[in-house]
Amino acid sequence: MSRALTALALLVAATVRLPAQSANDLLQQGVRAYQKLEYDAAVALLRESLLRREPSALPDSQRARALSYLAATELFQQQRDSAAAAFRALVRLDPRYRPDELIFPPQVTNLYDEVRRSTKVLSVQVPPVTELHARIEWFTARLVTTSVQSVTATLARDDGTPVRTLYDGPVADSLAVKWDGLTAAGSLPDDGRYVLHVAPHPALDDGPRPLQVTLDITQVPPDTLPWPAPPTSPTLLPERTSASPALGSLATGAVAAGAVVALPSLFGRSGEATGARFAVAAAVSIAGLVGFFAHQPRPIEANIRANAPARAEWQRRVDAVKTENAKRRGSARLLIRAGPVTVAERAP
Amino acid sequence: MRTLAATCALMLAAAAAPAQRRPSIGLRADAFMMWVHSDTGASRASLRGPGFGGEGRIAVNGLLFGLGLLEGQLTPAGASGAGGAAPQLDLVQATVFVGGRVLPWLEMTAGPVVRAYVTDSTTERWVFWQARARVDAPIVVGKLGTYLEVWRALASQVNLPTGAGRIQGGEAGVLFQPPQQRAWLRLSYRMDDALLGGPGGNETMEAITLSGGIAIP
Repeated sequence: MSRALTALALLVAATVRLPAQSANDLLQQGVRAYQKLEYDAAVALLRESLLRREPSALPDSQRARALSYLAATELFQQQRDSAAAAFRALVRLDPRYRPDELIFPPQVTNLYDEVRRSTKVLSVQVPPVTELHARIEWFTARLVTTSVQSVTATLARDDGTPVRTLYDGPVADSLAVKWDGLTAAGSLPDDGRYVLHVAPHPALDDGPRPLQVTLDITQVPPDTLPWPAPPTSPTLLPERTSASPALGSLATGAVAAGAVVALPSLFGRSGEATGARFAVAAAVSIAGLVGFFAHQPRPIEANIRANAPARAEWQRRVDAVKTENAKRRGSARLLIRAGPVTVAERAP
Repeated sequence: MRTLAATCALMLAAAAAPAQRRPSIGLRADAFMMWVHSDTGASRASLRGPGFGGEGRIAVNGLLFGLGLLEGQLTPAGASGAGGAAPQLDLVQATVFVGGRVLPWLEMTAGPVVRAYVTDSTTERWVFWQARARVDAPIVVGKLGTYLEVWRALASQVNLPTGAGRIQGGEAGVLFQPPQQRAWLRLSYRMDDALLGGPGGNETMEAITLSGGIAIP
């Protein structure tokens, strides 16, 4: 009787203090009440801790702990169904969780194992960010089931276009599904949003729901080497003659021809003259054209020979960079950002 | 004359400045076709005809000395006015000059020129002191080049009642020198205009010239 009164007093006190306390505080008090065998108070405190919502909600690890203590408390209060319900919630929260056998007696852990076997749960765990070299590194998704379950894991584009089937077979407890970053055709996927779809089969009404994870995949451009700077003067000797003399010759011829034509106007009183000067002007113009073509840039063989070793060395360095860059491009990196795991629609 | 003396002194001083060099000789022969247009106000006449000429020059220590001679036979090409048809005449011109190459591309000379138009009965004689400047521009070095030469009389006289006015002219052409040769060929056009004094007219001489020359180092 006195124990019941104490529990009631604790419950009332806890209820009064509840709003001001965090979920974690409630969990700690519930655990202490459990340890003192004050089960009514423990149940009240643990349930209250589980009911708290963001931002003071329990994290998943503490939530699992609260469910373990709640189930054990319910079991010791002969509330087996309530204990089983708490364990089912625990299994759905984290299929890989195991109540600590040093804390809980076998009757509690046995009930948990029993509930876990009867509760079919499928979960997917993916790292939030993965950066990998395609072909030689892996993106890993861990599939966890509470019982043997056939599962198909497929990767598809956001619009449903299939990209690759990553796994199709049974999962007994957990399985690491690996993807090497290539499509079914062996190529790198284009940048974009993809969906990792994990579905149990056959799909049963009371079975686990299919899950999906959105994956934003980006190809990270390979960090290639820059081309070596080509050899230039003054390292190299000029290999062609300049074009300036050609233009100078043309200009000289044009100016001289113009002078011939303009002489009567410049020096004659009336500008009267025969057309003979045009013949000379034409000859001067032709001379300018001859000079223009005679001075066209042409290779300087001696300088080309002298520059050959420097050019060969540059070409060797270019070839080395080409080889290295081809190697780097062959192992392109993918950046994969995973979204939250959500429940997918069942296939019709 | 004072201007002429100053010009000659300037050219000689500039040309003599470079270091001592071996003397070189240049010889040139000209064949030309010439047109002379005479306008005395009362009459206008045009004559034309072939001519020949030559020039020799020697360069010593940067100084240049030379003399030239040309002679042509001119026949009337057309005449109008009170004077009627122009008579056939001979043209004789002698030149003496001294100067030098002030810059590698600039040659300046000066000297007297005597020009005579000779008919059976009369001789029209011009005497003038002339300053000349010549610019050479290579097109293909050592093979092909152009040049422009201009001149102006610093003092002039003519045995005509009107007297002489200013005399100026210019010549431009192209010069070809075969590779490894001392000889060269030249095609040029010349325009020379001599004004008569007072209200008188002018005498214009133009010529297209084919020249051949040789340089003796």
